Amino acid sequence: MSGDEPRPPAADDTPHPTSGLDDTVHQRHRLGVLTITAEAQRADFGYLRDALGLTPGNLSRHLTVLEDAGLVQVEKGYEGRRPRTWVRITSDGRAALATELSALTELVRRHTGPNGASGKQS
Amino acid sequence: MSEQGQGGGPGREAMGRPEPEELLGELAAMRRRTRSARHAYWFPLVLFGLLSCAAVPLYVAAAVPHLRHCVVLAPGHARCSLVSAAVTSAGNEPVVLGGMPIGGNGFYLGWYWLVALVLGYLLTVLWYRWHARQAGVQTSARGYLVIGVAATVLAVVIPPLASQIGVVARLWRDIPGNLLIRGTFAFLIIAAGLWVLAWAERSVALVITAAVYTGTALLASLYNVENILFRLGWRPGFGDLSLTAAPNVLLPAAVLLIAGAAAFAAQRPRRPVRPS
Repeated sequence: MSGDEPRPPAADDTPHPTSGLDDTVHQRHRLGVLTITAEAQRADFGYLRDALGLTPGNLSRHLTVLEDAGLVQVEKGYEGRRPRTWVRITSDGRAALATELSALTELVRRHTGPNGASGKQS
Repeated sequence: MSEQGQGGGPGREAMGRPEPEELLGELAAMRRRTRSARHAYWFPLVLFGLLSCAAVPLYVAAAVPHLRHCVVLAPGHARCSLVSAAVTSAGNEPVVLGGMPIGGNGFYLGWYWLVALVLGYLLTVLWYRWHARQAGVQTSARGYLVIGVAATVLAVVIPPLASQIGVVARLWRDIPGNLLIRGTFAFLIIAAGLWVLAWAERSVALVITAAVYTGTALLASLYNVENILFRLGWRPGFGDLSLTAAPNVLLPAAVLLIAGAAAFAAQRPRRPVRPS
């Protein structure tokens, strides 16, 4: 490879935005859980289930992944005789969400920018 | 966003990862829906609007009209060109919540606002907890409670402290007297709470409401609102002069009640709809 060979226009020295994507967070339902819980002080299990269109079992599995990663806290309790589960995002969860969103935004910027793959250049 | 591939958007996951733009769009929509679901600020607006209206008889009772430039038209009949119906203190102590702790005519007004403010803030926090159970998402009202109760307590304890501690007295003297003289300082405490609540709710509408309310609270504190009504043709009889204290209370209250009614209409209970 010659040193005089021109570099492709899209290439630069910054890491590709996909390197900022975390598999734990990037899964779209887990990303949805983090987005909703970041918007509120805490969110109810039923609200998350309805908002994400998941079955209780699927949502539980996603919450377990996020809880094991320290990104959310799950609070189980009772209201009267009814069990109630609340989900609260942690500071690590907020940071992970911010990193994920900035990586996605950067991806979009590269994708739609003048040198991007789907740029409007003819 | 269903993993079960139940048609429409949810099934896209089975066909592959979504485009980043699409994903960001979905997340933004989800954030908007969640914010909308947790909005519940109509209650404190209506509550404090009603508490303000309930205070009107106390303001009227506490009002001491200062009549100036009265012209005697006939025996027993006089016309006065300027009327000021400010809440005043019988002693020299600063009047904060309408005459705390011993403020002559404003005595009951001060106690009323002490109880009403603390009760209003506590009821608001309970309301937000109840609403969270219904909506499934909770707004933190802790900052609202802390600011509201702390401001109320400071308004109560600073006047007696100012007479004992020189530093506090100097700080106290820097507060424009007009903010206190009409006994409407409680409105500024309510306004401070609204700003905190607007931040917690992330609501532009509540920011606008807080700005308008702060403006009317300052107007009510610095100006005799009844003068506007006089120019519009209101001529209270001599026996009704104490009623001229009411507009300073009713104007900020009207802002809260109108904004609260509009917010109530916009914040009807809603739950997220499961994707079909």
